[in-house]
Amino acid sequence: MADVDDTASGPVSEPLDLVRLCLDEVVFVKLRGDRELKGRLHAYDSHCNLVLGDVQETVYVVEEDDDGEETVKVGSMSLWLYSCVNWQLQTINKKSEMLFVRGDSVVLISPQGSL
Amino acid sequence: MSFFGFDSSLPRERGHDTRAPGFSQAADPFAGPRPDDDDDALDFEDTYDGLGDQLDETDDAFNDDTFGGESLPTAVAKKPVGKDFDFFGQTAKVSDAITEEQLRFSRQPPSSRIAPQSSNVNQPGMKPARTGYERYKEPTVVRDMQVDASLWGPAVMKSQPASTPAVDAPITPGLPSGGRKMMSLEEVEAAMRAQAKKPSPAPANSPYQPPQPHEQPSQQHQNFSHQGHQPVPFQNSGSPRDGHQSNLGQQPQQPLHILQRSQAPPIQPATPTGPSQPTQLQNPGRYVGEQHRTAPAVQRPGHQSRPSNSRAPIITHPHQLANLSEEERNAFLLEDAKRAKRNHKIFVLSKDNGLMTPQDKNFITRIQLQQLVTATGNPNEHGSDPALSEDFYYQVHNQIRGGPRQHPGQPLSNFAQTYLFQTGGRHGGMRRQHRGGDNHMQRMEQQVARAVEAAKNKPKNKQLVIEGSLGKISFSNAKTPKPLLNIKRTDSGADVRPSSAAHNRKSQLASIHGYDRKTVLLDIENVYNTLMKMEDHERHQPPPVAADDINPELHGLNQDWKIRQDQLNAELWHHLKVHEPIGGPNIHPFIAFLSFSKGKKAIPRVFRHITGEQKTTILTMIVVHLDQLDVVREGLIPQGDIQLNASTREKVELFSLAVMHTLFGYLNDADLAIVAGLLGLILSRTNTELISRTRIGVSMLTMLLSRAELIKQSGGNEQEWDNWVGMYNTFFDTLEPTLAHIFPGTVNTGEDVYVWQFLAAIGIGASPEQQQRLVMAVKDRVMDTVSHAKTLPAAMSSQRLANVNLFMRSIGLDVELLA
Repeated sequence: MADVDDTASGPVSEPLDLVRLCLDEVVFVKLRGDRELKGRLHAYDSHCNLVLGDVQETVYVVEEDDDGEETVKVGSMSLWLYSCVNWQLQTINKKSEMLFVRGDSVVLISPQGSL
Repeated sequence: MSFFGFDSSLPRERGHDTRAPGFSQAADPFAGPRPDDDDDALDFEDTYDGLGDQLDETDDAFNDDTFGGESLPTAVAKKPVGKDFDFFGQTAKVSDAITEEQLRFSRQPPSSRIAPQSSNVNQPGMKPARTGYERYKEPTVVRDMQVDASLWGPAVMKSQPASTPAVDAPITPGLPSGGRKMMSLEEVEAAMRAQAKKPSPAPANSPYQPPQPHEQPSQQHQNFSHQGHQPVPFQNSGSPRDGHQSNLGQQPQQPLHILQRSQAPPIQPATPTGPSQPTQLQNPGRYVGEQHRTAPAVQRPGHQSRPSNSRAPIITHPHQLANLSEEERNAFLLEDAKRAKRNHKIFVLSKDNGLMTPQDKNFITRIQLQQLVTATGNPNEHGSDPALSEDFYYQVHNQIRGGPRQHPGQPLSNFAQTYLFQTGGRHGGMRRQHRGGDNHMQRMEQQVARAVEAAKNKPKNKQLVIEGSLGKISFSNAKTPKPLLNIKRTDSGADVRPSSAAHNRKSQLASIHGYDRKTVLLDIENVYNTLMKMEDHERHQPPPVAADDINPELHGLNQDWKIRQDQLNAELWHHLKVHEPIGGPNIHPFIAFLSFSKGKKAIPRVFRHITGEQKTTILTMIVVHLDQLDVVREGLIPQGDIQLNASTREKVELFSLAVMHTLFGYLNDADLAIVAGLLGLILSRTNTELISRTRIGVSMLTMLLSRAELIKQSGGNEQEWDNWVGMYNTFFDTLEPTLAHIFPGTVNTGEDVYVWQFLAAIGIGASPEQQQRLVMAVKDRVMDTVSHAKTLPAAMSSQRLANVNLFMRSIGLDVELLA
């Protein structure tokens, strides 16, 4: 993804072409609502609706513990959260064979190799 | 009323009306022409003429009990009288009868006339309710009230007999309230008993004698005695009248013409000769149908509670009939039958009111299908794009499967059209019953045809320029939305060339790490794009030209199609990058292409669209770069591990499924020269040791060797064969040192079937001396496997031994010999 500029004149004429190159590849998708997906990209469209296969979903949930203090369940990705003393670090993982992701929740799509 | 301004300016007139309702009302000049206003006025006066006071509301609660669920018949009765009821027509029907009765009445003795008149006076309340419509029909009546009183008299009388006032009213004319009041059961019985004492003069009555007060009881009595064998319709027919007459409040609900029409019976002298005609004039005809349905169950109990009430009005009629001339009677009967028929029809039609009829459903279906037809476009339009986009995946799948469907446009919309016309035809049969649906159906068909036509024409003019306007109007629909953003998209065919040139530079500059990943991915996408174009193009293939066919248009179509196909083929070939120079410092683009799983998956599809020569080129390309393939490079089992890692195994699996399978299919048609050449290429250009230690490499070698063996068995060119044997000997010599190491993992893993197959392929073609060397090389492995098999369960053991036997048999041995 870093070398988008290099090839912008050539093979990639619009942003979604980059997504096209990821077809049938494993991609990392960041979603709104503190969710992340990793799976094989089967299909996409101009709204970034995605169809992913063999998906590993990671959800970060904010929970309040008994004291009313916020407890956050996070994955290992959000390292900055470790600094918060009161927050616990947890990962909620889900696996799906096939997933349709509605495009309006997609924040980022990245080829798995570059992340 | 405020419309006339009467409320404020003329309060006295209102008052006057209330005091003398009947006559002042009659003088109202607006009554006739404006029935609506009259209704208003009538209601108002009804409340003031004392009629309401005369009504005994207290007993209304028992009406239902008395009249057997009266609410039911009235509710039903209301239904058929729609807004469009033909008052005039209905009244006109009876006008003849009325005039006739008038004549007859004038001939009657004056004494008999008194009773009707008195009763008329007793019933002023009836009049205001009727006046508007009466006058509408007979405007002249207004002036000579005296004369017409005779006309009204019968109506009142007729309405009376049903309710007990019929008995009382003539006797006590001074008490109008009594006439209105419903009698309790006890009262009725008392009256009946009193009248039963009197001699029953009914049979002796002269034909034209008017209904005498004392006569009524006798009728009732007779009815009572007849109760047991009276037909059901007869009983039923009485009930609506009962409700009507006993409860004045019902009048607005019932059409006034009914009253008029029913005037006829009472004027006839009543001779209780037996209830032969149950559903005659007395009973407003339209009730008959409903009553047949609802009344028998519901109303009978009501009758039993008040038998006299239900019978009286009905009985009078038969007498009347009996006294009519033959001609008149026939006319009556005829009319009655007609009415009954019509009522039945109404009943049948109104049965499912409020539900969807089959026609309604059909209507909806047609709307939906029409949408489908317009959405998918004209089915006759060959391979239309909308049709393709409608069920693209099915069609592609079908095409790859080689389905029978030639024209993708056919099925879907054809179905819709077929359905539309078929149902149209099927309804043709039903038309005889539902004439209404006929027009409807035809209209629908025309609409569909028009819609299809419109849909056909629409795409052609996407824009409309109205004369004199400054801009264009562009159409849009769900299928082709109006483009809000117009992003110019360069044709992939056009932009590939420059970019590929850039890629070439890039690939030359690229590091040893290999062909630029993104470029390869792009190539793959381009290949897929081209493939889809080609597949699409294939769907548009014109029908083949017969040998003797000289249709120039068809020839032209075929030629154009062929040219386009060649273009696409060239494009595909270009994107595959097979022709990139071999032997560069980095991995060949085509081999890089194959390193992606989607690249591997593309091969079978590519092979469907390329020529044999191109296939050979691809096969050669793969063989030449066999040791560069990712599946071969990474196919070596690392030291210490028993098997490959998961992703590599997946790749190998995919490669052998997609690529090797395709190549194998092609190689089965290749001749020996090609096979020998390929083997030679492997020996000269690749690392044989590496190849022979990987699954894909071994599979490739097995493929070549076995193909050669097959050709040999089918007989072939002697020189080619010599050439092949030479090649084989070189190959064997090269391979021999590696033979001991070609087995993957240890004996325990057991995933060595392909190796045994390979050894078998070698063994078959080997000379006895070579076979000897072969056995020596793999002897340890054979013995280990056999001994290991003995420790395994029977099924697995025999599996392993069978694998070994593949090889042993090829050199004329058997595992059994070792045991």
